Amino acid sequence: MAVTIRDETLVHVKNVVKIYRSGEIETTALCGIDLEVKAGDFLAIVGPSGSGKTTLLNLIGALDAVTEGSLEVLGQNVSSMSLRQRADLRLHSLGFVFQAYNLFPVLTAQENVEFVLELQGVNKNRRKRAREVLAQLGLEKYADRRPTQMSGGQQQRVAVARAVASQPKLVLADEPTANLDGENAGILLDMMRELNERLGTTFIFSTHDPRVIDYARRVITLVDGKIAKDIVKETDGDGQL
Amino acid sequence: MRFGTVLYKYASRSLTRHVRRTLISMVGVGVGCAMSLIALSWMNGAFEMQVRAVAESGSGHLMIVHRKWPDLRENSLRLSDWEESLEKVRQNPGVRACSARARANGLLAFGNRSSGVQIMALQPETESEVNRVISRSQLEGRYLYPEELDSIVIGKSLAKRLSVELDDDLFITVPGLEDIHSAMLRIVGILETGSQDLDLSICHVTLEALEAITEIPGAGEIVILLKDYNALDTVSNQLAEKMPENNLVITWKEVLPALASGMQGDKAIMRLLTTIVIVVVALGIMSAQLTAVLERRQEFAILSALGMKGGQITLIVFVESLLIGVGGALVALFVGGVVSWYLATYGINLLFFNPEGLGPSNILLDPRIYGSFGSWLITYALVISITATVVASLYPAWKAAQIDPADALRTQ
Repeated sequence: MAVTIRDETLVHVKNVVKIYRSGEIETTALCGIDLEVKAGDFLAIVGPSGSGKTTLLNLIGALDAVTEGSLEVLGQNVSSMSLRQRADLRLHSLGFVFQAYNLFPVLTAQENVEFVLELQGVNKNRRKRAREVLAQLGLEKYADRRPTQMSGGQQQRVAVARAVASQPKLVLADEPTANLDGENAGILLDMMRELNERLGTTFIFSTHDPRVIDYARRVITLVDGKIAKDIVKETDGDGQL
Repeated sequence: MRFGTVLYKYASRSLTRHVRRTLISMVGVGVGCAMSLIALSWMNGAFEMQVRAVAESGSGHLMIVHRKWPDLRENSLRLSDWEESLEKVRQNPGVRACSARARANGLLAFGNRSSGVQIMALQPETESEVNRVISRSQLEGRYLYPEELDSIVIGKSLAKRLSVELDDDLFITVPGLEDIHSAMLRIVGILETGSQDLDLSICHVTLEALEAITEIPGAGEIVILLKDYNALDTVSNQLAEKMPENNLVITWKEVLPALASGMQGDKAIMRLLTTIVIVVVALGIMSAQLTAVLERRQEFAILSALGMKGGQITLIVFVESLLIGVGGALVALFVGGVVSWYLATYGINLLFFNPEGLGPSNILLDPRIYGSFGSWLITYALVISITATVVASLYPAWKAAQIDPADALRTQ
């Protein structure tokens, strides 16, 4: 199956600067980033450590505020949002996958997936929906296991299930394969690619992993807080790979 | 947050991450709260018994006196229409017992020995119902008969001081309104309360005898015991409405203001100590909760990243604290309940700690003090434990809600 890159712009980053301040010390993490991400994209942000990958991902994920410039996510100006509005945006429109999986250790896989649905106020069929998502990702048999009873690969797949359970338009994944072996990384990437193709979910990764870069449809290279390269892999006339 | 939701499961199961710490927190809250329960049980019981002892040692729960008595404390003041007033008091359904009295400061003499005393003139037929000094003492000889004019009952220590025994005649001198009056009275009874100080102050004659000696007619006070101490104000108001203008209804606190304020002071100190214990416990809980929050900094950051709002994160910490509080309340109920029950059932004999005697000399205290025990323990344990833990979790909860997800995840 091939995905259609739609013309809809999900993320619009315009001349964004991010400076971290610690006492009198200022560290510029991003300086003048311009970027547009279209719906259905499968985008990898790469670059050496300290190049600003995670910072950019955090800004797009409304976890952090820009210092200068403007940032629109799903048509909403994140730069001018309150903490509460940003939390709402994350809850209802974004999905997150973290490097260290970050599942809640006291909850089962099913409950981890249900958690976000419950936060969104989904009461009807919440359990069934969580079960379905796990089943779709081949995780049904782990539903009642706690994270400590699963391997790293299984945990990260549950984390993806948690991220996509509420069918967000955009999923942000910070080094999702960094702690996985080759086989599990492959399974995970196949899974995310399948979600991208089947549901049209947009994925943005920050990564060092060449395997992720292989899967990506577009690769942005950051160096010292600036975009050094923006490579879009070739598509056919319909916008398909 | 509803019971059974994933959020509730998350909060409740979080307590199982460090089972030992959770249990220690619960036991800490429980023991602290149990200590305050025990202190309160003891304090309430002791206060109740002290009030009863004070009331039954002569002051009554309520007393009707002349309107000028609280200011002058003059024994020659007499009530208006005392018999009619006594009857009105007796008819009040809240009154357990009542009796009329008069007092006079006088001098007792036998041979070359003498002693100054406060003579209490009373109605023998009803005085024993309001005065435990009579009903609970050992009596050598007999007590006074109603309207007996030439007899006197004194305390054992007073008898020793005067070197008198039964059937000896005591020379009594008392001031009247204008002159000094005297009479010879025969000792018909000697009372022994067990308190030497109290025995030294006992000097009873009939109301009629004092009237005859001093030539001041009537009673100076009506002492009242209530069926229910909690009805003090109600009965006081009811009686006040029916009394003649010159008669005033006062409480035992006004009769013995120093003792009342001393008892209130004891209560305040006990409350202060209890509060200190609870504050110390709360600080301990705060420290434990803060540690738990800081340990889970990244997890709270994830909650925030997933879209959870500060208020919801605060709620999670509150629910965890609430559960610790409920656990603490159960511990408090068990420990505090058992000890309070023991105190209420078997009491503590204060003579064991202080063989010299108990309390003020004019009060016949029970040597064995019993604590208070009742359903109030459950309410108190729950309210104190839960309040202490929830208040103690305010800062950790606020701290959890303030965690910046980007910052916490960056340092992961």
